[in-house]
Amino acid sequence: MRFLNVLSANIRREFILLKRYLPNTIAMLVTFYVIFIGMFFGISLIGDPTTQDANIQYVIVNYIFWFLAMLVVNDIGWQITNEATQGTLEQLGMSPMGIWRIMLSRLLSTTIVEFIIIIGLLYLSMFTAGQWLNIDVLSILPILILTLISMFGLGLIIAGFTMIIKQIQAFLQILQFLLAGLTFVPLSVAPFLAFFPFVKGVDMVREVMINGTTITEFGVGDISILVFNGIFYFGIGLFIFLRCERYAMSKGLLAHY
Amino acid sequence: MAVKIVEVKNLKKSYKKRKTKEYITAVNDISFTVNKGEILGLLGPNGAGKTTTIKMICGLVVPDSGAITINGIDNQSKRLRAQEHISAVLEGNRNLYWRLTVRENMEYFAGNRGKSRKEVTSQIEELLHQFRLKDKENEMVNRLSRGMQQKLAIAVAMLAGSEVILLDEPTLGLDIETGYEVRELLREIVREQKRTIIITSHDMDVIQDLCERTVIINSGKVVTNDRVENLMKLFEVRAYVIKLDGHLSEEQHHLLLEKFPLLVYTPDTFQSTLEVELTQSQDIYELFDVLKLEQIPVDTIDRKTINFEQVFMKIVKGETQDAVSERA
Repeated sequence: MRFLNVLSANIRREFILLKRYLPNTIAMLVTFYVIFIGMFFGISLIGDPTTQDANIQYVIVNYIFWFLAMLVVNDIGWQITNEATQGTLEQLGMSPMGIWRIMLSRLLSTTIVEFIIIIGLLYLSMFTAGQWLNIDVLSILPILILTLISMFGLGLIIAGFTMIIKQIQAFLQILQFLLAGLTFVPLSVAPFLAFFPFVKGVDMVREVMINGTTITEFGVGDISILVFNGIFYFGIGLFIFLRCERYAMSKGLLAHY
Repeated sequence: MAVKIVEVKNLKKSYKKRKTKEYITAVNDISFTVNKGEILGLLGPNGAGKTTTIKMICGLVVPDSGAITINGIDNQSKRLRAQEHISAVLEGNRNLYWRLTVRENMEYFAGNRGKSRKEVTSQIEELLHQFRLKDKENEMVNRLSRGMQQKLAIAVAMLAGSEVILLDEPTLGLDIETGYEVRELLREIVREQKRTIIITSHDMDVIQDLCERTVIINSGKVVTNDRVENLMKLFEVRAYVIKLDGHLSEEQHHLLLEKFPLLVYTPDTFQSTLEVELTQSQDIYELFDVLKLEQIPVDTIDRKTINFEQVFMKIVKGETQDAVSERA
Protein backbone atom coordinates (compact mmCIF):
# COMPACT_ATOMS: atom_id res chain seq x y z
CA MET A 1 0.00 0.00 0.00
CA ARG A 2 2.80 2.41 0.89
CA PHE A 3 4.53 1.64 -2.41
CA LEU A 4 1.31 2.59 -4.20
CA ASN A 5 1.48 5.98 -2.46
CA VAL A 6 5.06 6.40 -3.69
CA LEU A 7 3.96 5.39 -7.19
CA SER A 8 0.98 7.74 -7.15
CA ALA A 9 3.21 10.64 -5.99
CA ASN A 10 5.61 9.96 -8.85
CA ILE A 11 2.89 9.61 -11.50
CA ARG A 12 1.45 12.93 -10.31
CA ARG A 13 4.90 14.51 -10.52
CA GLU A 14 5.31 13.16 -14.05
CA PHE A 15 2.03 14.78 -15.16
CA ILE A 16 2.89 18.05 -13.40
CA LEU A 17 6.25 18.21 -15.19
CA LEU A 18 4.66 17.44 -18.57
CA LYS A 19 2.30 20.35 -17.95
CA ARG A 20 5.01 22.64 -16.60
CA TYR A 21 7.38 22.00 -19.50
CA LEU A 22 4.53 22.37 -21.99
CA PRO A 23 6.67 23.46 -24.99
CA ASN A 24 8.87 20.36 -24.50
CA THR A 25 5.80 18.16 -24.22
CA ILE A 26 4.29 19.61 -27.38
CA ALA A 27 7.59 19.16 -29.20
CA MET A 28 7.69 15.53 -28.06
CA LEU A 29 4.11 14.91 -29.24
CA VAL A 30 4.78 16.50 -32.63
CA THR A 31 8.05 14.57 -33.05
CA PHE A 32 6.38 11.22 -32.40
CA TYR A 33 3.48 12.03 -34.64
CA VAL A 34 5.79 13.06 -37.47
CA ILE A 35 7.98 9.97 -37.00
CA PHE A 36 4.98 7.62 -37.09
CA ILE A 37 3.46 9.33 -40.09
CA GLY A 38 6.88 9.28 -41.76
CA MET A 39 7.11 5.56 -41.17
CA PHE A 40 3.66 4.87 -42.58
CA PHE A 41 4.05 6.99 -45.69
CA GLY A 42 7.79 6.51 -46.16
CA ILE A 43 7.65 2.73 -46.28
CA SER A 44 4.53 2.92 -48.50
CA LEU A 45 6.44 5.13 -50.93
CA ILE A 46 9.85 3.48 -51.07
CA GLY A 47 9.27 -0.04 -49.73
CA ASP A 48 8.39 -3.28 -51.49
CA PRO A 49 4.56 -3.27 -51.85
CA THR A 50 4.35 -7.05 -51.25
CA THR A 51 5.96 -6.78 -47.81
CA GLN A 52 4.79 -3.26 -47.03
CA ASP A 53 2.47 -4.14 -44.12
CA ALA A 54 5.05 -6.37 -42.45
CA ASN A 55 7.76 -3.73 -42.90
CA ILE A 56 5.67 -0.98 -41.36
CA GLN A 57 4.76 -3.15 -38.37
CA TYR A 58 8.37 -4.30 -37.98
CA VAL A 59 9.77 -0.76 -38.00
CA ILE A 60 7.07 0.64 -35.72
CA VAL A 61 7.39 -2.15 -33.12
CA ASN A 62 11.16 -1.74 -33.12
CA TYR A 63 10.91 2.01 -32.82
CA ILE A 64 8.43 1.88 -29.92
CA PHE A 65 10.57 -0.64 -28.04
CA TRP A 66 13.71 1.35 -28.71
CA PHE A 67 11.98 4.41 -27.32
CA LEU A 68 10.77 2.46 -24.27
CA ALA A 69 14.23 1.01 -23.70
CA MET A 70 15.79 4.47 -23.94
CA LEU A 71 13.15 5.84 -21.60
CA VAL A 72 13.57 3.14 -19.00
CA VAL A 73 17.29 2.49 -19.22
CA ASN A 74 18.76 5.84 -20.21
CA ASP A 75 16.32 8.23 -18.60
CA ILE A 76 16.80 6.82 -15.11
CA GLY A 77 20.53 7.45 -15.42
CA TRP A 78 19.89 11.09 -16.34
CA GLN A 79 17.39 11.40 -13.50
CA ILE A 80 19.91 10.15 -10.92
CA THR A 81 22.53 12.53 -12.33
CA ASN A 82 20.11 15.45 -12.07
CA GLU A 83 18.98 14.54 -8.56
CA ALA A 84 22.59 14.21 -7.39
CA THR A 85 23.58 17.51 -9.00
CA GLN A 86 20.57 19.33 -7.58
CA GLY A 87 21.09 17.87 -4.10
CA THR A 88 17.71 16.18 -3.90
CA LEU A 89 19.13 12.64 -4.12
CA GLU A 90 20.06 12.85 -0.44
CA GLN A 91 16.47 13.76 0.42
CA LEU A 92 15.32 10.67 -1.48
CA GLY A 93 17.98 8.68 0.38
CA MET A 94 16.36 9.65 3.66
CA SER A 95 13.02 8.16 2.73
CA PRO A 96 12.15 5.04 4.72
CA MET A 97 10.92 3.57 1.43
CA GLY A 98 14.50 3.37 0.14
CA ILE A 99 15.88 4.98 -3.01
CA TRP A 100 15.26 1.81 -5.07
CA ARG A 101 11.51 1.90 -4.51
CA ILE A 102 11.39 5.58 -5.44
CA MET A 103 13.47 4.96 -8.56
CA LEU A 104 11.34 1.97 -9.50
CA SER A 105 8.20 4.07 -9.13
CA ARG A 106 9.86 6.75 -11.31
CA LEU A 107 10.54 4.07 -13.93
CA LEU A 108 6.95 2.86 -13.72
CA SER A 109 5.43 6.33 -13.80
CA THR A 110 7.47 7.58 -16.78
CA THR A 111 6.76 4.32 -18.62
CA ILE A 112 3.01 4.44 -17.91
CA VAL A 113 2.60 8.11 -18.79
CA GLU A 114 4.77 8.10 -21.91
CA PHE A 115 3.45 4.74 -23.08
CA ILE A 116 -0.12 6.06 -22.93
CA ILE A 117 1.00 9.09 -24.97
CA ILE A 118 2.88 7.04 -27.55
CA ILE A 119 0.01 4.56 -28.03
CA GLY A 120 -2.44 7.46 -28.37
CA LEU A 121 -0.20 8.99 -31.04
CA LEU A 122 0.21 5.64 -32.79
CA TYR A 123 -3.57 5.33 -33.11
CA LEU A 124 -3.79 8.94 -34.32
CA SER A 125 -1.11 8.21 -36.94
CA MET A 126 -2.93 5.02 -38.06
CA PHE A 127 -6.13 7.05 -38.38
CA THR A 128 -4.35 9.77 -40.38
CA ALA A 129 -2.59 7.30 -42.67
CA GLY A 130 -5.65 5.10 -43.03
CA GLN A 131 -3.49 2.04 -42.33
CA TRP A 132 -4.29 -0.10 -39.31
CA LEU A 133 -1.76 -2.30 -37.56
CA ASN A 134 -2.63 -5.64 -35.97
CA ILE A 135 -2.70 -4.76 -32.26
CA ASP A 136 -3.85 -7.79 -30.26
CA VAL A 137 -3.89 -6.17 -26.82
CA LEU A 138 -4.59 -9.42 -24.94
CA SER A 139 -1.54 -11.10 -26.44
CA ILE A 140 0.74 -8.08 -26.41
CA LEU A 141 0.07 -6.86 -22.86
CA PRO A 142 1.46 -9.85 -20.86
CA ILE A 143 4.53 -10.00 -23.15
CA LEU A 144 5.00 -6.27 -22.79
CA ILE A 145 4.76 -6.36 -18.99
CA LEU A 146 7.35 -9.17 -18.72
CA THR A 147 9.60 -7.38 -21.22
CA LEU A 148 9.33 -4.15 -19.25
CA ILE A 149 10.30 -5.97 -16.04
CA SER A 150 13.60 -6.99 -17.62
CA MET A 151 14.04 -3.42 -18.92
CA PHE A 152 13.47 -2.11 -15.37
CA GLY A 153 16.23 -4.45 -14.19
CA LEU A 154 18.59 -2.92 -16.74
CA GLY A 155 17.38 0.55 -15.69
CA LEU A 156 18.24 -0.22 -12.05
CA ILE A 157 21.74 -1.37 -13.07
CA ILE A 158 22.32 1.93 -14.91
CA ALA A 159 20.82 3.91 -12.00
CA GLY A 160 23.14 2.13 -9.57
CA PHE A 161 26.26 2.81 -11.63
CA THR A 162 25.20 6.43 -12.14
CA MET A 163 25.32 6.93 -8.36
CA ILE A 164 28.96 5.94 -8.17
CA ILE A 165 30.45 6.86 -11.56
CA LYS A 166 30.43 10.54 -12.39
CA GLN A 167 31.42 10.17 -16.02
CA ILE A 168 28.50 7.89 -16.82
CA GLN A 169 26.93 10.43 -19.23
CA ALA A 170 29.37 9.50 -21.97
CA PHE A 171 28.37 5.87 -21.58
CA LEU A 172 24.67 6.80 -21.62
CA GLN A 173 25.18 8.41 -25.02
CA ILE A 174 26.68 5.18 -26.38
CA LEU A 175 24.07 3.06 -24.65
CA GLN A 176 21.28 4.34 -26.88
CA PHE A 177 23.00 2.75 -29.89
CA LEU A 178 23.47 -0.54 -28.03
CA LEU A 179 19.77 -0.44 -27.17
CA ALA A 180 18.93 0.24 -30.82
CA GLY A 181 20.99 -2.81 -31.76
CA LEU A 182 19.16 -5.00 -29.26
CA THR A 183 15.72 -3.87 -30.44
CA PHE A 184 16.31 -3.82 -34.21
CA VAL A 185 18.31 -7.05 -34.69
CA PRO A 186 15.93 -10.00 -35.28
CA LEU A 187 16.44 -13.11 -33.17
CA SER A 188 16.66 -15.27 -36.29
CA VAL A 189 19.98 -13.56 -37.07
CA ALA A 190 21.41 -13.98 -33.57
CA PRO A 191 19.42 -16.54 -31.51
CA PHE A 192 21.69 -16.15 -28.45
CA LEU A 193 20.28 -12.63 -28.01
CA ALA A 194 17.11 -14.28 -26.62
CA PHE A 195 18.83 -14.27 -23.23
CA PHE A 196 19.65 -10.59 -23.42
CA PRO A 197 17.22 -8.29 -21.62
CA PHE A 198 13.99 -7.50 -23.52
CA VAL A 199 15.15 -8.93 -26.92
CA LYS A 200 12.94 -12.03 -26.62
CA GLY A 201 9.95 -9.85 -25.67
CA VAL A 202 10.41 -7.55 -28.67
CA ASP A 203 10.67 -10.56 -30.94
CA MET A 204 7.45 -12.04 -29.53
CA VAL A 205 5.56 -8.76 -29.91
CA ARG A 206 6.73 -8.59 -33.54
CA GLU A 207 5.46 -12.15 -33.97
CA VAL A 208 2.04 -11.11 -32.61
CA MET A 209 1.79 -7.97 -34.72
CA ILE A 210 3.25 -9.23 -37.99
CA ASN A 211 2.21 -12.90 -38.08
CA GLY A 212 -0.90 -12.60 -35.93
CA THR A 213 0.32 -15.18 -33.39
CA THR A 214 -1.70 -15.21 -30.15
CA ILE A 215 -0.22 -15.64 -26.67
CA THR A 216 -1.54 -19.21 -26.41
CA GLU A 217 0.27 -20.21 -29.59
CA PHE A 218 3.70 -19.49 -28.15
CA GLY A 219 5.62 -22.51 -26.90
CA VAL A 220 6.50 -23.12 -23.23
CA GLY A 221 10.14 -22.45 -24.13
CA ASP A 222 9.36 -18.94 -25.42
CA ILE A 223 7.25 -18.03 -22.40
CA SER A 224 9.85 -19.54 -20.02
CA ILE A 225 12.67 -17.48 -21.54
CA LEU A 226 10.52 -14.35 -21.27
CA VAL A 227 9.66 -15.03 -17.61
CA PHE A 228 13.24 -16.05 -16.81
CA ASN A 229 14.61 -12.86 -18.41
CA GLY A 230 12.15 -10.72 -16.43
CA ILE A 231 12.99 -12.32 -13.09
CA PHE A 232 16.72 -12.64 -13.75
CA TYR A 233 17.36 -9.10 -15.01
CA PHE A 234 15.11 -7.48 -12.44
CA GLY A 235 16.75 -9.51 -9.64
CA ILE A 236 20.27 -8.76 -10.80
CA GLY A 237 19.32 -5.10 -11.41
CA LEU A 238 18.02 -4.69 -7.89
CA PHE A 239 21.04 -6.50 -6.43
CA ILE A 240 23.50 -4.26 -8.31
CA PHE A 241 21.52 -1.13 -7.46
CA LEU A 242 21.56 -1.94 -3.72
CA ARG A 243 25.28 -2.74 -3.82
CA CYS A 244 25.99 0.53 -5.64
CA GLU A 245 23.82 2.45 -3.17
CA ARG A 246 25.75 0.93 -0.26
CA TYR A 247 29.06 1.78 -1.96
CA ALA A 248 27.90 5.35 -2.63
CA MET A 249 26.88 5.70 1.00
CA SER A 250 30.17 4.33 2.29
CA LYS A 251 32.10 6.77 0.10
CA GLY A 252 29.70 9.66 0.75
CA LEU A 253 28.92 10.02 -2.95
CA LEU A 254 25.20 10.82 -2.79
CA ALA A 255 25.89 14.53 -2.47
CA HIS A 256 29.38 15.07 -3.81
CA TYR A 257 28.54 14.85 -7.45
CA MET B 1 14.12 10.96 33.64
CA ALA B 2 15.38 11.97 30.19
CA VAL B 3 14.70 9.44 27.43
CA LYS B 4 17.56 8.98 24.97
CA ILE B 5 16.25 9.11 21.40
CA VAL B 6 19.56 9.24 19.51
CA GLU B 7 22.64 7.35 20.68
CA VAL B 8 25.94 7.72 18.86
CA LYS B 9 28.68 5.34 19.99
CA ASN B 10 32.35 5.34 18.96
CA LEU B 11 31.63 6.57 15.48
CA LYS B 12 34.55 6.58 13.03
CA LYS B 13 34.73 7.62 9.40
CA SER B 14 37.68 8.15 7.07
CA TYR B 15 37.74 9.10 3.42
CA LYS B 16 40.42 8.25 0.89
CA LYS B 17 41.82 11.17 -1.07
CA ARG B 18 41.46 10.50 -4.78
CA LYS B 19 44.81 11.87 -5.84
CA THR B 20 47.17 11.00 -3.01
CA LYS B 21 45.23 7.87 -1.89
CA GLU B 22 45.88 8.84 1.72
CA TYR B 23 43.11 8.52 4.29
CA ILE B 24 41.59 11.56 5.96
CA THR B 25 39.84 11.03 9.25
CA ALA B 26 36.57 12.95 9.21
CA VAL B 27 35.13 11.53 12.42
CA ASN B 28 37.30 9.91 15.07
CA ASP B 29 35.54 7.99 17.84
CA ILE B 30 32.61 10.28 18.49
CA SER B 31 30.03 9.37 21.13
CA PHE B 32 27.07 11.36 22.43
CA THR B 33 23.38 11.00 23.12
CA VAL B 34 20.37 13.22 22.46
CA ASN B 35 17.38 13.28 24.76
CA LYS B 36 13.79 13.29 23.59
CA GLY B 37 12.40 16.82 23.21
CA GLU B 38 15.82 18.45 23.33
CA ILE B 39 17.44 20.93 20.95
CA LEU B 40 21.06 19.88 20.68
CA GLY B 41 23.68 22.02 18.97
CA LEU B 42 26.34 20.10 17.07
CA LEU B 43 29.15 22.57 16.60
CA GLY B 44 32.62 22.70 15.21
CA PRO B 45 34.80 24.69 12.84
CA ASN B 46 34.81 23.94 9.10
CA GLY B 47 36.03 20.42 8.45
CA ALA B 48 35.44 19.33 12.05
CA GLY B 49 33.22 16.43 10.98
CA LYS B 50 29.76 17.90 11.74
CA THR B 51 28.17 17.26 8.36
CA THR B 52 29.64 13.75 8.13
CA THR B 53 28.22 13.02 11.60
CA ILE B 54 24.81 14.44 10.62
CA LYS B 55 24.79 12.36 7.44
CA MET B 56 25.75 9.21 9.31
CA ILE B 57 22.86 9.82 11.73
CA CYS B 58 20.53 10.30 8.72
CA GLY B 59 21.74 7.03 7.22
CA LEU B 60 23.22 8.75 4.16
CA VAL B 61 26.82 7.88 4.97
CA VAL B 62 27.94 4.48 6.27
CA PRO B 63 30.36 4.73 9.22
CA ASP B 64 33.61 2.71 9.22
CA SER B 65 32.83 1.58 12.75
CA GLY B 66 30.64 2.48 15.69
CA ALA B 67 26.88 2.44 16.10
CA ILE B 68 23.96 4.82 15.87
CA THR B 69 20.53 4.05 17.27
CA ILE B 70 17.45 6.15 16.57
CA ASN B 71 14.65 5.46 19.01
CA GLY B 72 16.39 2.20 19.86
CA ILE B 73 16.68 1.10 16.21
CA ASP B 74 20.14 0.45 14.77
CA ASN B 75 20.47 2.68 11.72
CA GLN B 76 22.90 0.35 9.96
CA SER B 77 21.20 -3.04 10.15
CA LYS B 78 17.68 -1.52 10.02
CA ARG B 79 18.36 1.67 8.10
CA LEU B 80 14.94 2.13 6.53
CA ARG B 81 13.14 1.47 9.83
CA ALA B 82 15.38 3.97 11.60
CA GLN B 83 14.68 6.53 8.86
CA GLU B 84 10.98 6.45 9.83
CA HIS B 85 12.04 8.36 12.94
CA ILE B 86 14.29 10.92 11.33
CA SER B 87 14.14 13.70 8.76
CA ALA B 88 16.62 16.39 7.84
CA VAL B 89 17.23 19.68 6.11
CA LEU B 90 20.76 19.49 4.81
CA GLU B 91 23.05 22.41 4.15
CA GLY B 92 22.41 24.38 0.97
CA ASN B 93 19.20 25.36 -0.70
CA ARG B 94 18.61 22.30 -2.84
CA ASN B 95 16.49 20.20 -0.52
CA LEU B 96 13.48 20.92 -2.75
CA TYR B 97 12.35 20.57 -6.35
CA TRP B 98 12.56 24.05 -7.83
CA ARG B 99 10.12 23.35 -10.66
CA LEU B 100 7.39 22.18 -8.29
CA THR B 101 5.20 24.50 -6.23
CA VAL B 102 5.25 24.76 -2.45
CA ARG B 103 2.27 22.43 -2.07
CA GLU B 104 3.49 20.02 -4.76
CA ASN B 105 6.85 19.70 -2.99
CA MET B 106 5.13 18.91 0.31
CA GLU B 107 2.87 16.33 -1.30
CA TYR B 108 5.68 14.79 -3.32
CA PHE B 109 8.07 14.31 -0.40
CA ALA B 110 5.26 12.96 1.81
CA GLY B 111 4.33 10.56 -1.01
CA ASN B 112 7.93 9.37 -1.25
CA ARG B 113 7.75 8.46 2.43
CA GLY B 114 4.76 6.26 1.64
CA LYS B 115 2.05 8.68 2.80
CA SER B 116 -1.11 9.20 0.78
CA ARG B 117 -2.25 12.67 -0.27
CA LYS B 118 -5.40 12.30 1.81
CA GLU B 119 -3.36 11.37 4.87
CA VAL B 120 -1.34 14.59 4.78
CA THR B 121 -3.86 17.13 3.47
CA SER B 122 -4.82 18.58 6.85
CA GLN B 123 -1.20 18.47 8.05
CA ILE B 124 -0.08 20.40 4.95
CA GLU B 125 -2.74 23.04 5.63
CA GLU B 126 -1.55 23.40 9.23
CA LEU B 127 2.09 23.67 8.21
CA LEU B 128 1.34 26.19 5.45
CA HIS B 129 -0.31 28.40 8.06
CA GLN B 130 2.29 27.78 10.76
CA PHE B 131 5.16 28.59 8.40
CA ARG B 132 3.24 31.51 6.82
CA LEU B 133 3.45 29.96 3.37
CA LYS B 134 -0.27 29.70 2.67
CA ASP B 135 -0.31 32.60 0.21
CA LYS B 136 2.63 31.05 -1.64
CA GLU B 137 1.32 27.48 -1.82
CA ASN B 138 0.95 27.56 -5.61
CA GLU B 139 4.20 29.42 -6.22
CA MET B 140 7.10 27.52 -7.75
CA VAL B 141 10.05 27.11 -5.40
CA ASN B 142 12.52 28.84 -7.73
CA ARG B 143 10.45 32.01 -7.35
CA LEU B 144 10.59 32.01 -3.56
CA SER B 145 13.07 33.97 -1.48
CA ARG B 146 15.92 32.06 0.23
CA GLY B 147 14.12 32.44 3.56
CA MET B 148 10.88 31.02 2.24
CA GLN B 149 12.71 28.12 0.62
CA GLN B 150 14.35 27.37 3.95
CA LYS B 151 11.02 27.54 5.78
CA LEU B 152 9.51 25.20 3.21
CA ALA B 153 12.42 22.76 3.58
CA ILE B 154 11.81 22.69 7.34
CA ALA B 155 8.05 22.27 6.78
CA VAL B 156 8.77 19.30 4.47
CA ALA B 157 10.98 17.76 7.17
CA MET B 158 8.16 18.34 9.70
CA LEU B 159 5.63 16.68 7.42
CA ALA B 160 7.62 13.45 7.62
CA GLY B 161 6.23 13.17 11.15
CA SER B 162 9.58 12.00 12.50
CA GLU B 163 10.50 12.46 16.16
CA VAL B 164 14.00 13.65 15.29
CA ILE B 165 14.75 16.50 12.89
CA LEU B 166 18.30 17.35 11.84
CA LEU B 167 18.98 20.84 10.59
CA ASP B 168 22.31 21.61 8.98
CA GLU B 169 22.86 25.38 9.01
CA PRO B 170 19.14 26.30 9.01
CA THR B 171 19.69 30.06 9.18
CA LEU B 172 22.60 30.32 6.73
CA GLY B 173 22.04 33.11 4.22
CA LEU B 174 18.81 34.32 5.81
CA ASP B 175 18.14 37.95 6.66
CA ILE B 176 17.79 38.89 10.34
CA GLU B 177 14.00 38.90 10.29
CA THR B 178 13.63 35.51 8.62
CA GLY B 179 16.40 34.04 10.75
CA TYR B 180 14.48 35.16 13.83
CA GLU B 181 11.25 33.75 12.40
CA VAL B 182 12.93 30.37 11.79
CA ARG B 183 14.24 30.34 15.36
CA GLU B 184 10.75 31.00 16.72
CA LEU B 185 9.33 28.23 14.56
CA LEU B 186 11.91 25.75 15.81
CA ARG B 187 11.21 26.69 19.41
CA GLU B 188 7.50 26.22 18.76
CA ILE B 189 8.09 22.80 17.19
CA VAL B 190 9.96 21.56 20.25
CA ARG B 191 7.60 23.19 22.77
CA GLU B 192 4.31 22.13 21.23
CA GLN B 193 5.16 18.92 19.43
CA LYS B 194 7.90 17.57 21.70
CA ARG B 195 10.13 16.82 18.73
CA THR B 196 13.89 16.50 19.04
CA ILE B 197 16.12 18.76 17.00
CA ILE B 198 19.81 18.42 16.24
CA ILE B 199 21.12 21.63 14.77
CA THR B 200 24.44 22.67 13.32
CA SER B 201 25.17 26.34 12.81
CA HIS B 202 28.02 28.78 12.54
CA ASP B 203 25.73 31.42 14.02
CA MET B 204 26.43 31.18 17.73
CA ASP B 205 23.55 33.52 18.53
CA VAL B 206 21.22 30.89 17.10
CA ILE B 207 22.88 28.18 19.18
CA GLN B 208 22.88 30.25 22.35
CA ASP B 209 19.26 31.18 21.79
CA LEU B 210 17.90 27.74 20.87
CA CYS B 211 20.04 24.97 22.30
CA GLU B 212 20.01 23.61 25.80
CA ARG B 213 23.12 21.56 25.21
CA THR B 214 25.95 21.52 22.70
CA VAL B 215 28.36 18.90 21.49
CA ILE B 216 31.43 20.62 20.10
CA ILE B 217 33.63 18.62 17.79
CA ASN B 218 37.01 19.50 16.40
CA SER B 219 39.25 17.44 14.13
CA GLY B 220 36.71 14.64 14.27
CA LYS B 221 36.65 14.35 18.08
CA VAL B 222 34.21 15.53 20.73
CA VAL B 223 35.86 18.40 22.56
CA THR B 224 33.02 19.15 24.91
CA ASN B 225 29.50 18.00 25.59
CA ASP B 226 27.72 20.25 28.07
CA ARG B 227 24.76 22.51 28.63
CA VAL B 228 25.13 25.95 27.05
CA GLU B 229 24.53 27.71 30.37
CA ASN B 230 27.24 25.64 32.06
CA LEU B 231 29.76 26.52 29.37
CA MET B 232 28.80 30.17 29.61
CA LYS B 233 29.19 30.15 33.40
CA LEU B 234 32.46 28.32 33.18
CA PHE B 235 34.02 31.03 31.06
CA GLU B 236 32.10 33.99 32.49
CA VAL B 237 33.61 33.69 35.97
CA ARG B 238 37.10 33.53 34.58
CA ALA B 239 37.11 36.82 32.70
CA TYR B 240 37.30 40.22 34.44
CA VAL B 241 37.45 43.87 33.47
CA ILE B 242 39.30 46.05 35.99
CA LYS B 243 39.29 49.85 35.76
CA LEU B 244 42.36 51.50 37.25
CA ASP B 245 42.78 55.09 38.40
CA GLY B 246 45.83 56.22 36.46
CA HIS B 247 48.27 54.18 34.44
CA LEU B 248 50.67 51.27 34.89
CA SER B 249 54.38 51.75 34.63
CA GLU B 250 56.36 49.64 32.12
CA GLU B 251 57.67 47.44 34.94
CA GLN B 252 54.22 46.94 36.42
CA HIS B 253 52.82 46.03 33.02
CA HIS B 254 55.61 43.47 32.45
CA LEU B 255 55.17 42.04 35.91
CA LEU B 256 51.44 41.54 35.35
CA LEU B 257 51.99 40.02 31.92
CA GLU B 258 54.49 37.55 33.38
CA LYS B 259 51.95 36.30 35.86
CA PHE B 260 48.84 36.66 33.64
CA PRO B 261 49.79 36.08 30.00
CA LEU B 262 46.21 36.55 28.78
CA LEU B 263 46.03 40.05 30.30
CA VAL B 264 45.18 43.00 28.01
CA TYR B 265 46.15 46.49 29.18
CA THR B 266 44.46 49.53 27.58
CA PRO B 267 45.52 52.96 28.86
CA ASP B 268 43.11 55.89 28.47
CA THR B 269 43.42 59.60 29.25
CA PHE B 270 42.78 59.43 32.98
CA GLN B 271 42.03 55.79 33.58
CA SER B 272 43.21 52.51 32.22
CA THR B 273 41.63 49.11 31.77
CA LEU B 274 42.87 45.63 32.47
CA GLU B 275 41.08 42.75 30.81
CA VAL B 276 42.16 39.44 32.21
CA GLU B 277 41.21 35.85 31.59
CA LEU B 278 42.34 33.52 34.30
CA THR B 279 43.58 30.02 33.64
CA GLN B 280 42.20 27.15 35.73
CA SER B 281 45.14 27.26 38.15
CA GLN B 282 44.91 31.04 38.69
CA ASP B 283 42.74 32.92 41.13
CA ILE B 284 41.47 36.51 40.94
CA TYR B 285 42.98 37.12 44.41
CA GLU B 286 46.46 36.51 42.98
CA LEU B 287 45.83 39.49 40.71
CA PHE B 288 44.57 41.59 43.60
CA ASP B 289 47.70 40.72 45.60
CA VAL B 290 49.92 41.98 42.78
CA LEU B 291 47.85 45.19 42.36
CA LYS B 292 47.96 45.79 46.13
CA LEU B 293 51.69 45.13 46.37
CA GLU B 294 52.39 47.50 43.51
CA GLN B 295 49.97 50.05 45.00
CA ILE B 296 47.94 50.28 41.82
CA PRO B 297 44.62 52.03 42.61
CA VAL B 298 41.56 50.04 41.48
CA ASP B 299 38.38 51.88 40.56
CA THR B 300 35.96 49.09 39.58
CA ILE B 301 35.99 45.33 38.99
CA ASP B 302 33.45 43.69 36.74
CA ARG B 303 32.97 40.25 35.33
CA LYS B 304 33.56 40.42 31.65
CA THR B 305 30.45 39.56 29.65
CA ILE B 306 31.19 36.78 27.23
CA ASN B 307 29.05 35.50 24.42
CA PHE B 308 28.76 31.95 23.22
CA GLU B 309 30.83 32.66 20.14
CA GLN B 310 33.79 33.50 22.35
CA VAL B 311 33.21 30.39 24.44
CA PHE B 312 33.09 28.31 21.26
CA MET B 313 36.30 29.85 19.93
CA LYS B 314 38.12 29.17 23.18
CA ILE B 315 36.99 25.57 23.25
CA VAL B 316 37.90 25.00 19.62
CA LYS B 317 41.30 26.63 20.00
CA GLY B 318 41.94 24.41 22.99
CA GLU B 319 42.90 27.43 25.10
CA THR B 320 40.73 26.21 27.86
CA GLN B 321 41.05 22.48 27.43
CA ASP B 322 41.97 22.04 31.07
CA ALA B 323 38.92 23.95 32.25
CA VAL B 324 36.59 21.91 30.15
CA SER B 325 38.09 18.53 30.88
CA GLU B 326 38.32 19.31 34.60
CA ARG B 327 34.67 20.25 34.58
CA ALA B 328 33.73 17.13 32.61
